[in-house]
Amino acid sequence: MKDVYILGIESSCDETSCSIVKNGTVELATSTSSQIDIHENFGGVVPEIASREHVKNITLVIEDCLKKANMKIEDVTAIAITYGPGLIGSLLVGMQAAKTLSYIYNKPLVPVHHIAGHIYANSLVEELKFPLIALVVSGGHTELIKMTDHFNFEKLGGTLDDAIGECYDKVARVMGLPYPGGPKLDKLSKEGKPTYKLPIPLNDDSYDFSFSGLKSAVINLNHNEEQKGKEINKADLAASFQKVAVTSIVSKTKKALKDYNINNLIVAGGVAANSILREALTDMCNENNIHLSIPPLKYCTDNAAMIASAGYYAYKLGRRADYHLNSLSTTALN
Amino acid sequence: MRVLYIDTSSDYLYSGIVVDDKLVSSIKKKYEKDLSKEALPKIIELFDEANITPKDLDKIIVVNGPGSFTGIRIGITIAKTIAWALNINITPISGLTAMAISSNTNTYKMPLIDARRGYVYGAIYDKDNNKVIEDSHIELKELLDKSKDLDIEVITNNDLEINIKKESYDPDILKIVKHFETSDGINPHLVNPIYLKKTEAEEKAGL
Repeated sequence: MKDVYILGIESSCDETSCSIVKNGTVELATSTSSQIDIHENFGGVVPEIASREHVKNITLVIEDCLKKANMKIEDVTAIAITYGPGLIGSLLVGMQAAKTLSYIYNKPLVPVHHIAGHIYANSLVEELKFPLIALVVSGGHTELIKMTDHFNFEKLGGTLDDAIGECYDKVARVMGLPYPGGPKLDKLSKEGKPTYKLPIPLNDDSYDFSFSGLKSAVINLNHNEEQKGKEINKADLAASFQKVAVTSIVSKTKKALKDYNINNLIVAGGVAANSILREALTDMCNENNIHLSIPPLKYCTDNAAMIASAGYYAYKLGRRADYHLNSLSTTALN
Repeated sequence: MRVLYIDTSSDYLYSGIVVDDKLVSSIKKKYEKDLSKEALPKIIELFDEANITPKDLDKIIVVNGPGSFTGIRIGITIAKTIAWALNINITPISGLTAMAISSNTNTYKMPLIDARRGYVYGAIYDKDNNKVIEDSHIELKELLDKSKDLDIEVITNNDLEINIKKESYDPDILKIVKHFETSDGINPHLVNPIYLKKTEAEEKAGL
């Protein structure tokens, strides 16, 4: 069979990224311009600043990626683009570039949902085995999805309020950790013990999550200890928070795997980089004889390789868009 | 000489293709929220109508601001991507300059774009389109004060309260393109919007 090369473009938040992936599984090159340093000054991503950076960097990352892959766009089979969800001003920049490349080089344009991209990041490690449960954990999402085939998504449950990554960043902020706080909280928690009592969120029969109560509990605890003039042990608080948050995610995931009698679990999204979550999922899967796939750290955060990988399977399924394709800030996984 | 002109700095798509001093295809249409969806397909129609392909282009002229931040980025990203792919240069120009060039008045010219809360993006040009006051994000009152001794005509498509002679903006694409005919332009990687205004987050942070 002829090799398929997909050039993917991702610009849904604060990374301008371009990647070329062969046959959905082999990453040939990726070029990403990250804006973390810029947004750190503001304690979070500023949408207008993100958009301004994307337009500066978009042609540079495309050129750099092709150079790294030692390829020309003429050699590429199709162009895959994140159409949503995400920051609309950011999405638009990648979209215009992708549509224009598709037109100039007469290459098919393949629309890719950002979360599908996160899920297919796992294909860069090993081919997906169906049926599977995908646990998507990121700054904007906490979802359990059942897949019986490529691009066949059934959402089993999701967060009713804050996404897990959002909760991590907010808790980290209360504890005085600079943005992005999630990874720093993860690191700090290793120096502590889970000595503080925190409520287990939404311990019920659904596949849904809720993290705003847990977030408030941490904020209140922090505040109360301060009022009493007691020094809070930040490492212990981080460890206590992590334990409860991770337990909630792992128990709902385990329940979904058991209820549907599924033996494959894949993890996706930025919070998949969290070390405690990785450990807990690994233990749970070992105990229950579940095949677990977690992408390496570089594929957990936003990147275009995952878009190009998802783009390959979408391309094979005949998914195409015309030049009227538009970006969407919110859109259901498809 | 084959030139593509793109201006998406307002709610309108103003675009055209000039071949050997003739405007062979053009569009002036209001899109608002659909601009990101429609801009490229409409530009493709211009190529078809002009019976040329992007590969035939010698240059792109794009408006790099001021105006709608999102709008500017749409036009610039399309221009940058075409120019990068075809290895040609871009001449980025001010939308206010384009407004001045399009006007035939023999007085001084004050192109204005509403920037809300009493502010405008504005400038003053003489009758030969030389800048007298640079493009700025400025209080309308202040700009009017600066120009009170000049015989001046305002060019705007916005509903601004001004007691001097006004004309609406209808871009003369051929005239704009010819004005920049001799410009070599710059590498597309270097073309970026000129917003004339910091983001609110930067202003608050004092950056």
